[in-house]
Amino acid sequence: MNAVFEDGLSLFAVRRMMEGVVPPSLATASADHVPNVGYLSLAEYVDPLHVALSYQFFNRSRENVLATKRASLTLDDPYTGAGVVLQLEYERTETEGPVFERLRAKLMGVASHVGMDNVFHLRGADIYRVLEMRRVPGRKELPAAQPRVDLPTNSRLLSERMANCEDLASLLDTLLCGLGELLRIDYAMLWLFDSSQAALTLLASRGYDIDGAGAEISVGEGIVGTAVREGVPIRVGHMMNMATYARAARERAGTLGLTPALKAGIALPGLKEPRSQLAVPLRARGRVLGALLVESKHDQYFGYDDEDALMMLCGQFAVAMSLMQPTEPEPAVTPAVSAQPPQSGAPLRLRRFSRDNSIFLDDEYLIRGVAGAILWKLVGEFTRCGRREFSNRELRLAPELRLPDVQDNLEVRLLLLQRRLAEQNAAIQLEKCGRGRMRLNVVRPIVLESEPR
Amino acid sequence: MALTSDMVQLLDAGVAHQVAGCTNAGRPVVCRGLAAQLEADGRLVVIISSLSGFEVLDAVRETGRVAINVTLPENFKSISLLGSDAIVSAGGAEFRELVTNRHAAFQAQLSRYGFPPEYTGAWYAATDEQLMAIRFTPTSARNQTPGPGAGNSLELK
Repeated sequence: MNAVFEDGLSLFAVRRMMEGVVPPSLATASADHVPNVGYLSLAEYVDPLHVALSYQFFNRSRENVLATKRASLTLDDPYTGAGVVLQLEYERTETEGPVFERLRAKLMGVASHVGMDNVFHLRGADIYRVLEMRRVPGRKELPAAQPRVDLPTNSRLLSERMANCEDLASLLDTLLCGLGELLRIDYAMLWLFDSSQAALTLLASRGYDIDGAGAEISVGEGIVGTAVREGVPIRVGHMMNMATYARAARERAGTLGLTPALKAGIALPGLKEPRSQLAVPLRARGRVLGALLVESKHDQYFGYDDEDALMMLCGQFAVAMSLMQPTEPEPAVTPAVSAQPPQSGAPLRLRRFSRDNSIFLDDEYLIRGVAGAILWKLVGEFTRCGRREFSNRELRLAPELRLPDVQDNLEVRLLLLQRRLAEQNAAIQLEKCGRGRMRLNVVRPIVLESEPR
Repeated sequence: MALTSDMVQLLDAGVAHQVAGCTNAGRPVVCRGLAAQLEADGRLVVIISSLSGFEVLDAVRETGRVAINVTLPENFKSISLLGSDAIVSAGGAEFRELVTNRHAAFQAQLSRYGFPPEYTGAWYAATDEQLMAIRFTPTSARNQTPGPGAGNSLELK
């Protein structure tokens, strides 16, 4: 595929001109060669030979394009003032799928930025093949803006740090801390997709007032849900009109296109007034395991280069996460009763609602789903025979847990459960006690209650 | 036909200009314009750079057809004007004052979006010798402001 055009230009190299800061202009002509020119809302990079243009209105430009298939597009660099002109050939219009969703998310941000939320509606993503591209001559170009950080170098550093992690907890902390330290991304959340619940669970966050581990949201149409559904990064660069963005935690879920899955849910972290957001899927073995959401208080904080860097890092994270099962046989389970610290205080009522394995400690919601089922099993064994130590293997083989078959993710669920218990400062805590093994610490007497619904 | 007073005012308000043509082979071409104003005879004169606008100049010389879009950044008011009797000539220093004034007004528009003065300077870097004039009689006008009514014809005087 020849992707190098006149002046040595490539579409990849001019992606920054498609950020939506300076609107592109589109020239077309009718079948009898009457020219027409107007502005477009957005152009989007598709691949080295294709761009997608926003189709919002059926106007003269579109009529011309459908008749002749030809168009000319100008793009301007929002920092240097440089420009390029493209000759395009219309191929098709997409009304769903990754490119459409990326364009729609970008348009949503631009529309909000310019106060035209009610006018800007994306009907389709028009896909064009780039026939020619050349630089606009005669411009007195400005120096390029200094990048926020050296993304390639610092991403490599972060990748190396992640490669040295031996367990999921350190991998997660390394990623989230590294985003801030090396990439100057101060607000991040890591969501896990649970296909059995059609929900996303917050594994960890960084930079917010609350951590929110264990918070759960249904997959919706917004930025995180769309990134998971389509398996592509979704980016919004302007969020000027904050009236459209919610401030409360539950409204916040709506902002992300997500609705809380539980009435008694866990408060969601998040910036009250995000100006930029980028959601990047965690993909491994052809599946989407979750998404990283990063936010900023500044407009246009994340660009295509951030997408590249985070896609690479999230891919590494996803593969590592899915591979982080013990590679050596775990030690045989010793069902011996280990020494238990003394329990004191009022009994802790641990209630399970069997329909979705949601767990409440006294009246406080803790967690649900597979993580809830794991805790119920562990505490059940503990109260029946005093066992405190368990192996991951026996949990993986336990039929009552019904772990998802393809993406086991047991370690992820254990980590989530461990963090959720720690965050709640609960009377039950879970700790690692060796490779593929964990220990239950219980400091109050436990009363188990199982309810059918 | 000639421009209405509203259109003339819009030209002076700090608009961005896009100028397009189409070759006899059906190739659409486009460049940024630097200035436009109504002439005494009712024609519109549009100034572009010979460097950045070489393709448009060639197409207009070839066919006489031209389209110009002017858009005001502050409210997205946008109109397009078409002509089929366009003539290209050297503009030169005669249009320097017009270009300077239009540049200043456009720069003021973009400054509210955080663009520094040097930014529009990159687009307005043409020398006097590079200023070219396209004169044409507007034969039709269209509203291109986003929203209801976009694409509708506008009446000329």
